[in-house]
Amino acid sequence: MRRTMMVLAIAAVAACKRAPEQGGQITASQITLGASVQLTGRLANTGRYYGDGYAMAVERINEKGGVSVGGKQLKLALKILDNQSDVNLGVRQCTQLLTQDKVNFLLGPFSSNDALDQSSVAEKYQVPMVQGGGASSQIFSRNYKYIFGTLPPADDYYASTIKMLMKMDPKPKTVALVAADDSFDVSVANGTRKLLKEAGLDLVVDKQYRENNSDFSSILSLAKSSDPDILLWSGHEAEALNFIRQAKSLGMSPKLMYAFTVGVPTADFRKALGKDAEYAFGMTPWLPSKDLKDDYFGDAAVFAKEYQQRFGYAPDYHAASAIADVEVYAKAIAAAGSLEPAKVRDAVAKVDFGSLYGKVKFQPNGQISLPQTVIQIQKGEVVEIFAEDFLGKPRYPLPPWAKR
Amino acid sequence: MQLFAQILVNGILLGGLYGLMALGMGLVWGVLNIVNLAHGALIMLGGYAVYYLYTKGGIDPFAALPIAMVLLFLFGYLLQRFLLNLIVRSAQLNTLLITFGLDVVFVYLAQLLFSADFRTINPPYAGSNIDVGGVTIPYAQLAAFLVAIFLAAILFLFLDRTRTGRAIRATAQNLTAARLYGVNPRRIYALTFGTGAALAGAAGGLYGVVSQITPYIGVTLTAKSFVIAILGGLDKPIGVILGGLLLGIAEAMTALYLDPTFTDIISFGLLVLVLVAKPAQILGRA
Repeated sequence: MRRTMMVLAIAAVAACKRAPEQGGQITASQITLGASVQLTGRLANTGRYYGDGYAMAVERINEKGGVSVGGKQLKLALKILDNQSDVNLGVRQCTQLLTQDKVNFLLGPFSSNDALDQSSVAEKYQVPMVQGGGASSQIFSRNYKYIFGTLPPADDYYASTIKMLMKMDPKPKTVALVAADDSFDVSVANGTRKLLKEAGLDLVVDKQYRENNSDFSSILSLAKSSDPDILLWSGHEAEALNFIRQAKSLGMSPKLMYAFTVGVPTADFRKALGKDAEYAFGMTPWLPSKDLKDDYFGDAAVFAKEYQQRFGYAPDYHAASAIADVEVYAKAIAAAGSLEPAKVRDAVAKVDFGSLYGKVKFQPNGQISLPQTVIQIQKGEVVEIFAEDFLGKPRYPLPPWAKR
Repeated sequence: MQLFAQILVNGILLGGLYGLMALGMGLVWGVLNIVNLAHGALIMLGGYAVYYLYTKGGIDPFAALPIAMVLLFLFGYLLQRFLLNLIVRSAQLNTLLITFGLDVVFVYLAQLLFSADFRTINPPYAGSNIDVGGVTIPYAQLAAFLVAIFLAAILFLFLDRTRTGRAIRATAQNLTAARLYGVNPRRIYALTFGTGAALAGAAGGLYGVVSQITPYIGVTLTAKSFVIAILGGLDKPIGVILGGLLLGIAEAMTALYLDPTFTDIISFGLLVLVLVAKPAQILGRA
């Protein structure tokens, strides 16, 4: 009896762990987009932008009449599986989406590691995957035909920041670079090293750390001892939080400024750090500006407001990128006039339209090209600082922790 | 040299907290022979308890620690009394399965209740530090370290000097003999698991002060606790604390002198070494 109870308990647990499913039924009169996203697990905090963004875009496009395919109006449907922040499960789910659930096309997960592996499934089955969560150049350097990405190349994340630094007074000389060892951050670090060299900046500390690391005391102590002008950091949001908190407790502060690839545009990040988030530089390819017009949402500012109202948290570029992914399909399918994967793939490669996310047009390798706007947290707000030229006044240089 | 001293201090401070994390796991393992895979989840729950006591209740995190410990003790006691006691004498696989299941349930309930947002316990003094001969000592980390040592000492005295503590040790050493002397194992098991949970709760609160809390921090912390409990042995609290210190220092040194990406290799490498060198410590229990 006891044993039966155990089995039941385990079955119940297993049932709890099963992915929640979203979206409608799959019928022939619909276009179904499938995705395996991190709705739970370690990356759930960013994964939600994709789950929510996809759902919102599909709904809105349907409200506007759906997609016209060869003279017939078809509605979009969405099938999202929760991969629990497990890369391997995500790969299996993509296979399941294509072979069992028979979705028409794939959307992507969050993070380069996941997109890197999932895209191989898309390529194998020759079904397009338009993903808005993987920026690593690794994803686009394999001559795959069916993978498209709406995040700008990771290698260039620090391009605008370094350009800005060269115009700052006092001008920096030495740089410390700290980056995680996953696909995205390796790509950022490689690109940044090159950019630093071109700019003539001296790299005095260059450390890679294990993804998901929570203790930065050694790296921080090392960086402190070499006292760089600039600290450039690349990793995940949870790690950025730990890094900044531990930097404060160890009194480590670069002489002029520090910048982070993620976290700074995110409301949650500023809330978790409170006053300690001040002065942090970051970057974003997207800000909710009225100038970004969109066929379905009006403009980016309207979208940001509706998103906040509906989900109870502010969108950042991940969410906007997710919306763009769905819009790419709407445009490409209409242009192709067909649901055949190969034809839609060719149409995706040719899309060129303005959206709430920005101008969507893929380069030959399948990745979008968007400039990164440098931002800084000033008095709890995200302030635009630099794109091609200065947009706002940076708070610079960075005061040491004791004087903040 | 100064850098070396700094890294050593970092490692020691971190190691104290590691030791506290593993203390509860080692205790439960040693007495109940349960490898509690939900231990990290209990640490996570302790972190949230202190977080909410601080942000909603306005109680200083260090003052909130005892409250969180009491809450976690009750939680752990009831869990053992009404659930784990049902299977504590069955095959070890069953206890592994059920604690794994509990871990999953706790983690997903936590995401449902608290969301996947990052939380930090950030009192005004959290980032302040003192400079001693060029070595920076962060107050919060130092306090966390001292609390860990204090709790380990209390646990030692409790197990060594009190009647209940002796009953717990007796149960671990020889169940039949303990029963003949009037020890009620069900009660002792529940008390032990409750104590383990309370220690996890304290570790969680301190972890939130020096790091951050999400529903998902538990898995790594369970793995770390596991390694430390084995390094330190399951017999004495002081051993576990020493195991924590060893791991903390090893990780900090590795990050500086080898490569920060090697820290996991070192900690699990240590585990393999101990298992090869002193297998009796673990196998003797099974």
